[in-house]
Amino acid sequence: MILCLALVGAGRAEANDYVVVRGAYYREASTRVIQPMVELQREAPGTGVDVAAHFLVDAITSASIAAGTAVDNVFTEIRDEVGLRVRKRWQRSDLALSYRYSAESDYWSHGVAASFGHRFWEDTASVRVSAGRSFDAVTANGRMPVCRPGGAQMQSCDLNVWFGGISYSQVLSPVAIAQVSYEAAYVEGYQGNPYRMVSSLMRYEHVPERRMRNAITPRIAYYLPASGTGFQLNYRFYFDYYPGDPGTRGAGDPWQIFARTIEARVYQQLLPSLEARVLFRYYRQNHAQFWCDAGATPPGSVPTAFCLANTDPPTGYPSDAVYYAADPKLGPVVTQYPEMQLVWQADALRDVPFLRWFSAGAFEISYGYYFQNTSFGGAHLLQTGYRLAY
Amino acid sequence: MRLFPLRLRLCLISGLALVGVAGCAHRPPVQPWQREYLSKRAMQFDSDPQEDRFRQHWLGAREGADLGFGQSGGGCGCN
Repeated sequence: MILCLALVGAGRAEANDYVVVRGAYYREASTRVIQPMVELQREAPGTGVDVAAHFLVDAITSASIAAGTAVDNVFTEIRDEVGLRVRKRWQRSDLALSYRYSAESDYWSHGVAASFGHRFWEDTASVRVSAGRSFDAVTANGRMPVCRPGGAQMQSCDLNVWFGGISYSQVLSPVAIAQVSYEAAYVEGYQGNPYRMVSSLMRYEHVPERRMRNAITPRIAYYLPASGTGFQLNYRFYFDYYPGDPGTRGAGDPWQIFARTIEARVYQQLLPSLEARVLFRYYRQNHAQFWCDAGATPPGSVPTAFCLANTDPPTGYPSDAVYYAADPKLGPVVTQYPEMQLVWQADALRDVPFLRWFSAGAFEISYGYYFQNTSFGGAHLLQTGYRLAY
Repeated sequence: MRLFPLRLRLCLISGLALVGVAGCAHRPPVQPWQREYLSKRAMQFDSDPQEDRFRQHWLGAREGADLGFGQSGGGCGCN
């Protein structure tokens, strides 16, 4: 990472050079995540080329390796991620190529992506197209996973993803801008959790191998100059389906998750050097069609195409189920997330010994609480960061 | 199933309408000297990619509609 940045050149600093250091803390009843991260960007003077690199560590401590089941095994796992992006900018266009690698003891992921953006209509409109590919391998510590029911034990199971997206942004007025984007991803391979067992069947979960994921996101931002207040409203509509024959013996598509996200943000300049951001996010999804609640089966209930009883959500896996999972995030999920963030431009440190080194940057801190209706329960999120443009 | 449900079609039509409205106007809606407020952080949709990276990861582990769009998997012993 350092070598790549060094290759860009040690000349004078450009307007786009920066370093960001961040720390994030996530805590819910059975899981705690601590994530330190550093990112640098350096521009080669006069070439329009910049290079950015990031490195982060996830330290995950969980009371349940199966994340949501009743298995009590305290474990700590470390995930490392590095990423590199090279971008070339022209007067109205830019092309970026990126690579990232993520590794932990039972999960490895390589990802490559390309992104091209172009501004037009006197820079009031822009289009961005992106595409990428990732290659993941999943295994289970302590045993060799079975990637498909009835299959042989393997060293690891593969997961391949092709993804792409397009977005269009339009300045509507001096104080309003809108954007609409569409993302799609084709996911093929092992999409379950090799540790998670469906207790009623006493089998490790088996999730459909193919999935076509889609999301469309309109967004709008508006600024009130008189009060120095900015507003953002984001809506995201997501749906997925099984491409091709799902092999469900006529039961239909096992996926069909539909999700809606609404997020509102308010930015307020409190002081010339202090800005506050208040955020509220609401998310709701239905359950995947093949997903059945692990609760008891009410007697006499009518079965569904995938489950034993037509409750809401449907309950109980039949013994000959094609797909089965105990993953809470494939069930009906409703979450809310309010958050407050403060960003302070540290100009006031200019005359303080030692601390004056930080005066050219900005500190930020945020706290949010993540309400979940699933067995994970609520979660506290604390994030801090410092950004220095140099 | 239908490849594009009604709501998605409505969203696509809305997006195309936005493009159409933009293309039919005679001159840009904003001149260069009117862009002071557009440079504010509140007017940029992806102003903090580092924050987004962390966010997508934990949301992807807890909700069914994230991940698969270029984010890293894993991170909690699960997909």
